[in-house]
Amino acid sequence: MASSLKLSSFLARLGIYRVSSEKQETLLKLMVLSTAAILSFSTRLFAVLRFESVIHEFDPYFNYRTTRFLTEEGFYNFHNWFDDRAWYPLGRIIGGTIYPGLMVTSAMFYHVLHFLNITIDIRNVCVFLAPLFSSLTVIVTYHLTKELKDTGAGLVAAAMISIVPGYISRSVAGSYDNEGIAIFCMLLTYYLWIKAVKTGSLFWSTFCALAYFYMVSSWGGYVFLINLIPMHVLALMLTGRFSHRIYVAYSTVYTIGTILSMQISFVGFQPVQSSEHMAAFGVFGLCQIHAFLDYLRSKLSTKQFETLFKLLAIVVGVAALIAGGVLTFMGKISPWTGRFYSLLDPSYAKNNIPIIASVSEHQPTAWSSFYFDLQLLVFLFPVGLYFCFSKLNDQNIFIILYGVTSIYFAGVMVRLMLVLAPVMCVLSGIAVSSVLSLYVRNLEYLDTTKAKKAKKMDPSYPVKGEIAGFVVLMMTFFLVTYTFHCTWVTSEAYSSPSIVLAASQHDGSRIIFDDFREAYYWLRQNTPEDAKVMSWWDYGYQITAMANRTILVDNNTWNNTHISRVGQAMSSPEDKAYEIMRELDVSYVLVIFGGLTGYASDDINKFLWMVRIGGSTEKGSHIKEADYFTPQGEFRVDREGSPVLLNCLMYKLCYYRFGQVYTEQGKPGGYDRVRNTEIGNKDFELNVLEEAYTTEHWIVRIYKVKDLENRGV
Amino acid sequence: SIEHVWWFYIVMEGFWSCVTLVGLLLLGAGCNGVKSGKKTLVLLENLSMKETHSMFFGDMKSRGYQLVFKMADDPNLAISKHGEFLYDNLIVFAPSVEEFGGTVDVSAITDFIDHGGNVLVAASSEVGDVLRDLGIEVGLELDERETFVIDHLNYDVKDRGEHTLLAVDPANLIEAELIVGEKPSAPALYRGLGMIADPDDPLVLEIMIGSTTSYSYFPKERISEYPHTVGKSTLLIAGLQARNNARVVFSGSIDFFSNKFFASSVLKAVPGAKEFDVCSNQQLASALLDWVFKEKGVIHAEEVFHHRIGEEDPPHAYTIMDDIHYAIKIQEMVGGKWVPFTAEDVQLEFFRIDPFVCIYLNKSEDGLYYADFKLPDVYGVFQFKVDYNRIGYTHLFSTTQVSVRPFEHTQYERFISSAYPYYVSSFSMIFGVQIFSLVFLHFRDNTKTKTD
Repeated sequence: MASSLKLSSFLARLGIYRVSSEKQETLLKLMVLSTAAILSFSTRLFAVLRFESVIHEFDPYFNYRTTRFLTEEGFYNFHNWFDDRAWYPLGRIIGGTIYPGLMVTSAMFYHVLHFLNITIDIRNVCVFLAPLFSSLTVIVTYHLTKELKDTGAGLVAAAMISIVPGYISRSVAGSYDNEGIAIFCMLLTYYLWIKAVKTGSLFWSTFCALAYFYMVSSWGGYVFLINLIPMHVLALMLTGRFSHRIYVAYSTVYTIGTILSMQISFVGFQPVQSSEHMAAFGVFGLCQIHAFLDYLRSKLSTKQFETLFKLLAIVVGVAALIAGGVLTFMGKISPWTGRFYSLLDPSYAKNNIPIIASVSEHQPTAWSSFYFDLQLLVFLFPVGLYFCFSKLNDQNIFIILYGVTSIYFAGVMVRLMLVLAPVMCVLSGIAVSSVLSLYVRNLEYLDTTKAKKAKKMDPSYPVKGEIAGFVVLMMTFFLVTYTFHCTWVTSEAYSSPSIVLAASQHDGSRIIFDDFREAYYWLRQNTPEDAKVMSWWDYGYQITAMANRTILVDNNTWNNTHISRVGQAMSSPEDKAYEIMRELDVSYVLVIFGGLTGYASDDINKFLWMVRIGGSTEKGSHIKEADYFTPQGEFRVDREGSPVLLNCLMYKLCYYRFGQVYTEQGKPGGYDRVRNTEIGNKDFELNVLEEAYTTEHWIVRIYKVKDLENRGV
Repeated sequence: SIEHVWWFYIVMEGFWSCVTLVGLLLLGAGCNGVKSGKKTLVLLENLSMKETHSMFFGDMKSRGYQLVFKMADDPNLAISKHGEFLYDNLIVFAPSVEEFGGTVDVSAITDFIDHGGNVLVAASSEVGDVLRDLGIEVGLELDERETFVIDHLNYDVKDRGEHTLLAVDPANLIEAELIVGEKPSAPALYRGLGMIADPDDPLVLEIMIGSTTSYSYFPKERISEYPHTVGKSTLLIAGLQARNNARVVFSGSIDFFSNKFFASSVLKAVPGAKEFDVCSNQQLASALLDWVFKEKGVIHAEEVFHHRIGEEDPPHAYTIMDDIHYAIKIQEMVGGKWVPFTAEDVQLEFFRIDPFVCIYLNKSEDGLYYADFKLPDVYGVFQFKVDYNRIGYTHLFSTTQVSVRPFEHTQYERFISSAYPYYVSSFSMIFGVQIFSLVFLHFRDNTKTKTD
């Protein structure tokens, strides 16, 4: 606060504003906050400026498609939407298997703007929604931190969250994903929860429940939230801080929140059945017991109370155990799901569920990426914790719990870095603000006229003024480097749409690979309306959204056997694959190939996952991962590679006619620029497929599945 | 002036288009003489065959076929011109030809088949390479030159001692009236080479096979190696109906169709055999002709109707457990006209990777096959599939893709009877809370007034 006061008096001295210091402070707060909000919006626009206003990556294409459907067809049709374009021939009930918060939000923006005669395209609403919500997040973070500490900490935290890369990674313009609004919802819920805990009022608790409903409607990560709040309540109980305020707050939030969350059809009865939600339910029960005991204690003598307490504890404990056991046995309480296990034990998914492990954002986080995504915050985090511990109160316990749990989860899964980033900012805001307000006060010692007076007042240690000056300077320096780092990371790492690729040539000029859209538009224009396209599931959402063709599997990996079937087709030799493709009515096969351009995340590099997933079901038990390796255990596509690999469908589709292509000077034909090797099987013909289309840089290759031979053989 | 010139152009153009139209009409009228599907090219080894097989060709002519006779090595030979096929059918009666003339070769003939043309081929023991290659293309392997099918137990009395003039029992014919006609009582005479079917080709039809004692070998040599074909795997006449319904018949014997055989009597050289005045060759050839040139056994699905019972048009998507009506109109070509097809065994599958419903269709008089059934309680993309594949008939395959969606949120039952206790409990709870709060508040007021 001291710093802001000083600054405002500086403004006043400049004569820009001759108003009371209170008003100046408000003005300054507003300025800082709005600057941070605008900054957070504009720093996310790199991708739009460099490429164009496009939707990024994979999942956002699905969200975009559903949003378009919602705006065109209305909510009821959206709610009842059965999509026969995906997961052929199973189909997918979209209305019941998504979190509709994101789509409803965009559709609302769209309709409001159109009501005001601002005819914005729905795509642009989708592209700019995440940056807009990040600005809102900035404001909520300010309020949350203000509730935890003070205005100064709030402003610092707000400024920090506006550019923290861990959050930007999921909220740049075009990255139209649930997380973009979910972080806002989550922080809003936390803010209102703190408010409810502090006031103990029904008003704030109800608002908290409403914010929780919004959160549930927009992201599956709400499970974290519904476990964190009970954990907070439990911690408060254990530390003897349980009070009527907490009782009112939690009881209201839990009951209203649970009933509301059950209105989302994807969530359904999970809040009362699945084990992930049982902690919240248990704590709700504990709250009632605790409150009841408190009431009894006030009415009974100590001895009577103790006897009663023991009796009650035993009866309730045994009853709860039996009920839990019976319900689990009857299957009413769902067993621990795989995704949850992988949170607790990072190696669980890798060993047991290949489909979860195959997603790169489900991998455990590397140490370096903590620094990459959070930089300074990593070091300020413990400092913030220290300041919280030093002045422990109800709300500080909450933020400590949030910090500690989320740092664990972020270590387990890369994508949960997103949950960690806000609390890092909040705690760092507290840290920076506390440190600065501690030392800026000491800066007075530098002022020689005042120094003499001060020395008499506080002789605790020498060169106090100089140390304060040094600390302030260092802090400023760190914050400046933080800004530079964040901007650099945003610009370099998180602003590529990945649907359009860019690379620099030898002479430094930029070359754009627009092969994905080229291929998808080719499919849209040149294939029959009801053609079925087989590709690996990564490209499913994009194909349905951009090519408008039926696909077998997509990024919503709900049916493992179906994906496994596609994996089997890809890893089988041509004739076996043909049987599977006929069974699934496949008319086109699409593969991604990077060998010509050096695009590394192509299907050959993903191929081992296809083999693993293909071999993970009963029908594919003949597919063994080991067959695709050399005897030395290497995955090679050159002459040394395993013959099974060199003759499987995926290999043939990727490298068809590639043997005659010269990719690099001084290298033989068929030189793969991703694997940096000359491919092993060059001269082969396709029997049951024919090449239909290959894009300019060979990144996408499309093949047509031939009919059965007319004369039988 | 310029305007006049324009007028002139327009008038001239009108004139020429009239001329073209009239020309086209005349052309159409000229073509009307030959019914579609009847233009046939006959490739002969030598022109004398026209005489030796005149009964066969006469039969064809009398049925309205327009026959174009050409020498198999005619240098101007062509079956297609500018990408259009000039003929509907092709007969190759040129066993020993080594190479066709003009632009015709094996690939031209297979191309002809792949575009729907029908082919009848007769080989003999002087078989040339080109026919052997053609055989391979339709899933048949012809035995070597100079070999004959030999059967020491089933030969005709006119045989000259090599036992190559076979008297083939009607029992050796395929069980399909559409292909071989009504089962004749007399045996057929056969002299020629044997074939075997490619085991990987599921489309080959074994129209006439050798008996268990037959084999194929050089008649004048001692048997030193295992014969090419033995017993019932020896094919004498084989057929193939391609997936585009083009038909091919391959006979190992050209004599089978000759006047000599047509008119011959037959007596099996076994004691007690019955003599027939006329062998069954002509009858069989006539039936084969009907089949191979699609006079018989041609069916197609004209229309498919499906809708919910009580509605008229198909919905955008069905809902699970809908009661629906499906109908398919199947017609058969009889005498150049489509007439309602009659069969009792047409099945419908409601199919999604596996069939979920599999039922016989009922038949109404006008060739409409229909069924009413309830959709399964499974959503997804399904197909109505009628896959009517019977020997002799063209392959009738009709799929119609429909989506079956789950219930909409308004289609579930509003009140579940088993949940009535819960409804009662929740309403009684609401009521109880109301009473409680009333009493509680009322009670509070009283005490307050008392304490005051």
